[in-house]
Amino acid sequence: MQSFFAILKDSFREAVDGFVIYVMLGLSSVVILVVASMSFMPAEPGPALEAIVQRFSLTFPDKGRSRVISASFENRYAATEVKPEGDGYRLRLKVTANGSRANEPDKPPQGDSFRRTVAAWLKQPGRTVKMSDLAGKQQQSGPGGSGSPPPEIEFSLNQEATLDEQRAVTNADMEEFLRHQFAIHAGLTATVQRLPADEPQYEFDVTTSGGSAVRGWPHTMKMFFGTVTVSEDVNLGTVLWIIEDQIINGVGGAVALLIGLIITAFFIPNMLRKGSIDLLLCKPIGRAQLLIYKYIGGLTFVFLITSFTVGGIWLAIGLRSGHWDLRFLAVIPLLTFTFAIVYAVSTLVAVVTRSPIAAMIVSIGFMLFLYIVGQVKTIFDRLRLEERSDTMPAWVFTLVDALNNWLPRYKDLDKLTSKLIADGTLTEAERRTFGLASIEYPSWESTIAVTLAFIALMLALACVRMVRRDY
Amino acid sequence: MSIIETHNLTKTYGRIEALKGVSLRVEKGQIYGLLGQNGAGKTTLIKILLGLVRLTEGAATLLGQPAGTVGVRRRVGYLPEDHQFPHYHTAYSLMDFYGSLYGVPASVRRRKIPETLELVGIAGRMHSKIKTYSKGMKQRLGIAQALMHDPELIILDEPTDGVDPMGRKEIRELMATLKQSGHTIFLNSHLLGEVEMICDRVAILQRGQLVREGTIAELTQQKGLYVLRLAEGQSFPVEAVTQRGYTVRSLAEPPGAVEIAMSDGQTIDPVIQLLVERGLSLRHLVEQKQTLEDVFMKTVEAAEPGVDRQRRRGAARPVGGGN
Ligand SMILES: Nc1ncnc2c1ncn2[C@@H]1O[C@H](COP(=O)(O)OP(=O)(O)OP(=O)(O)O)[C@@H](O)[C@H]1O
Ligand SMILES: [Mg+2]
Repeated sequence: MQSFFAILKDSFREAVDGFVIYVMLGLSSVVILVVASMSFMPAEPGPALEAIVQRFSLTFPDKGRSRVISASFENRYAATEVKPEGDGYRLRLKVTANGSRANEPDKPPQGDSFRRTVAAWLKQPGRTVKMSDLAGKQQQSGPGGSGSPPPEIEFSLNQEATLDEQRAVTNADMEEFLRHQFAIHAGLTATVQRLPADEPQYEFDVTTSGGSAVRGWPHTMKMFFGTVTVSEDVNLGTVLWIIEDQIINGVGGAVALLIGLIITAFFIPNMLRKGSIDLLLCKPIGRAQLLIYKYIGGLTFVFLITSFTVGGIWLAIGLRSGHWDLRFLAVIPLLTFTFAIVYAVSTLVAVVTRSPIAAMIVSIGFMLFLYIVGQVKTIFDRLRLEERSDTMPAWVFTLVDALNNWLPRYKDLDKLTSKLIADGTLTEAERRTFGLASIEYPSWESTIAVTLAFIALMLALACVRMVRRDY
Repeated sequence: MSIIETHNLTKTYGRIEALKGVSLRVEKGQIYGLLGQNGAGKTTLIKILLGLVRLTEGAATLLGQPAGTVGVRRRVGYLPEDHQFPHYHTAYSLMDFYGSLYGVPASVRRRKIPETLELVGIAGRMHSKIKTYSKGMKQRLGIAQALMHDPELIILDEPTDGVDPMGRKEIRELMATLKQSGHTIFLNSHLLGEVEMICDRVAILQRGQLVREGTIAELTQQKGLYVLRLAEGQSFPVEAVTQRGYTVRSLAEPPGAVEIAMSDGQTIDPVIQLLVERGLSLRHLVEQKQTLEDVFMKTVEAAEPGVDRQRRRGAARPVGGGN
């Protein structure tokens, strides 16, 4: 153990000796500072709830269980008489529907757009169209939820419901619909009770809990310590998702991997340099052990950089917005794990060639290769799903599948990380409209297992080479 | 138990035969010097002892254990030739790093590091980065790092390489002290004068083969060779001395001096008696000894040269002539 920490400390010393690390920490600090300069002011309850109910035009059929998105802009929603109550607010929600016929007292309802919306929400979607096909042909989709999920967002253009179905909509159905809309569009828990009103006018007594501390609450967002107003009506969760997933996990992650690879590519070749290696190999430590410790030293380095950056941003976000979601911190181990894949390749190349340049080029090339395989796999999966597999010879599919099965799951790790972040920030409705709910997610177990096996193989090869060699 | 023992040690690098069956034995408390021309296989032998290089044939043990095992390395200190210390370390942090690899506890390291660096004379600069050190300072640090964990055996590959004369003297004294405290030292060197001063035994390697081995006294002793000179104006009775069975040869330097070689059982006394009887006055009488350098030159010249003859021709002093 003593020698393990000694080598970690040595790797650390080596890393902080160069200037690159300081450039990197400087960049990280700037990003943290920019995030810390953001401020989020929750909107006043009146306008906020008004903004939230406007989103109710988007619905998700089959009581929200379907992934298909449906829209109706015929109903007008209004939040009135908003006042605080308990830890939340009380309001009167008015829905003005579009009705072709006037209702008569003591007669069954004549049907209107709101009843149609609720009736359509209760059942499975009818005709749907895919995002990519919106301009072209329309497709008949099978019943939602069965079989393999579509990889794309689907829309149901018309909310269709017969008059009988509309008439069958009870008060309880409407209340459940609205409760569900509050939950899915804003993360708000609400109790809803219908009040008497003449159709096609509807009124509901709504009590929400949780106040403004919900994902879907509109905020005024300013940057650079209040000097620049970015938006006056934006969900806190949406902004955090953009920062955490798109900027930090996406761009920041790629930059961190790249710079991490460049810095650490020198560690092992430097150790193996003539004149240096003798000094280590004469110490009472096995060669394989030495190499693995050195590898872990490289990982630790990236782990620390990532911890600094992600931890700093997490802290800045928490302090500035009150949103303390631990899931974002999972980016730290996951990014380090992704780095572990490419660094294992770098280590093998370093042991074989003893050249930092070769280690750098091959490992960065490998990273690109994995990225491309991930992209190609996604495209091929879609081809197969759309039964257009005949456009390619079968062996191409076999090859892509084999590559994806046996290579480390670089892309899958990224997908899983993004999912974690989205789960921690976005409302359910946003996740669906951003298409995140229609991605087929790989399992954590297989992703981690295949990746670990790959890393173990690379390191084993590197150790064998190292142990056999005369220095 | 010998501290180092090799038996028929053989190493081939592809087609190069670096060692061809070397057998030697180093006992506890000795300072043992390994000599040889460039490429003779000295470093290769040391690397095999430490497990840096795999032997092709034969056997080697260190401190009674197979050479190159992790356990035995803990008890050995090593200064490699042409070492490159990681430039981001200071002398102190490097010693601290190596010390922890040897399993020296932190409290001991704190005490031992300045002490050891003091021994080699660089304690004053121990907190500067190694990249700012001169060649000799790095060499001194190299010696210090081989000592700090108090190893039973210290292996030094050209320990005084790049060190100034004063420093070399200090290092010699240091080795003598280490020897006194029971350490065994095995070293490679091209500085024959130094080896002669410090080593108990030496071995000469020539193209991977051991050509001579013994104590310094054994190697340099040369029985029955004297140089003598008479007072100004007197001439040496060459004939009379030759008649008594001695071989006489007159030398150009110093003028008038002669070299007398005797065969077994003879002593110089009858010659001196003869001179006295003839009323000649003796001014100079020295028993001629050969230096280790002479031995080395003769040995190496007798054996096949290790480096190209062509290139060596015309050089004032061939290999090993640094001192
Ligand atoms: N890694 C290697 N690969 C191939 N040949 C090697 C290797 N190391 C040493 N040799 C060869 O082995 C022979 C012995 O080399 P070695 O380094 O042991 O010589 P040396 O006696 O230490 O010489 P010097 O006095 O110059 O240090 C040389 O011919 C050298 O070229
Ligand atoms: Mg050598």
